[in-house]
Amino acid sequence: MNAIALDHGCYSGSAAPPRLRRAMTDAAATTAAGFADLIGRVAAHGDRAAFASLFDHFAPRVKSYMLRLGAEPRQAEELAQETLLTVWRKAAAFDRAKAAPSTWIFTIARNLRIDAARRARHAEPLEDPSDAPDAEPAPDAVLAAAQSEGLIRNALGKLPPEQAEVVRLSFFSDKPHSEIAEQLSLPLGTVKSRLRLAMGRLRDLLGDLA
Amino acid sequence: MTHPNHHPSEALVLDHARGVLEPGRDLVLRAHLAACPACRAAVALAEAVGGALVDELAPADMAEGALARALAAIDAGAPPTPPAASAPHPPDWILVPADVLHAARRNRRLAAPGVWVANVTGGGRVGARSYLLGVAKGMAVPRHSHVGWEFVVVLKGAFTDRGLTYGPGDFAESDEAVEHEPRAHPGGECVCLIAADNRLAPRSLMARVFQPFVGI
Repeated sequence: MNAIALDHGCYSGSAAPPRLRRAMTDAAATTAAGFADLIGRVAAHGDRAAFASLFDHFAPRVKSYMLRLGAEPRQAEELAQETLLTVWRKAAAFDRAKAAPSTWIFTIARNLRIDAARRARHAEPLEDPSDAPDAEPAPDAVLAAAQSEGLIRNALGKLPPEQAEVVRLSFFSDKPHSEIAEQLSLPLGTVKSRLRLAMGRLRDLLGDLA
Repeated sequence: MTHPNHHPSEALVLDHARGVLEPGRDLVLRAHLAACPACRAAVALAEAVGGALVDELAPADMAEGALARALAAIDAGAPPTPPAASAPHPPDWILVPADVLHAARRNRRLAAPGVWVANVTGGGRVGARSYLLGVAKGMAVPRHSHVGWEFVVVLKGAFTDRGLTYGPGDFAESDEAVEHEPRAHPGGECVCLIAADNRLAPRSLMARVFQPFVGI
């Protein structure tokens, strides 16, 4: 796609439409390194074109994820918005040595969903845990390979289908494993052992690649 | 510092990564993670898997003007991230989230001679409740069982339970089948962060006497 000078078609509000250009071609941006660069540009000088590219790629996927987890379309849209706004605000906290952009954005989306669910239940903790200082320092170097979505995706593709299925169902459901087991008509022990095998195998596969 | 020897199950680590663990239980798990590089690596792997899976999803259509809205929110100066709370961290505890420290300062009460309790998260829902329990050196929590699950992480000191020793950062799960009388090591006070659905089920006269005072 010829995206270098792609103007935004969706600025039709009463305010003067900002003429935003995409920061990169789609092809160049859709790699983990490309996205990491874009986040770096947002952090370094509030680069709006870089943000637009990140928004284009990630907001629709985060919305899709929220819909899968049973959010109403409006709430899914809202959570996708909040996720990308958090990316803007916390861009400086992103560390490409620790996590792939998709991993970082997944954790932001997940935490926002947890917060929203807690607010809805009026069961707030004394303090928002996401505001607590980060008590979880960088993972060990073993996970160097996990920084690349490509490698992770590759490894996922090598899982036996029945293991890949339970992993996928786990992430796209907010149900306990017991209900996932019911859904698959499998004993809970089988689901748990498939998950354990899958995560062990992923660790091995990524360890080999690292 | 030595690393923990007792870890949560793979399923629990995954529940944390996919964001479905109840608040009290999640807090206990996070306290373990802070002390355990192996489990942090397991979480990081699971989160990377989550990120890759979300990245593979077919994109959903955003509402018209979604990006314009986001940029307008940025221009309006989206609310700044609140500064991280800085409660003084007890030097002899494992590193714990700030909310736990706040609770320890605010809610701490003497429950019985040698025992203090501080509620951290409340709520009647399953898995929502968590509290800190401090037990003086050498003291035992009288023999009891549990109604539902209990997750425990040691923040300071150590306790012995059914022949096993749990030290700083160690994680323990108990269910109804477990009847025990954990005892703090003679070396010093033991502080634990505990998530439990229900009150203990006393299994001895001493526990029955003890429970109303302690309120756990």
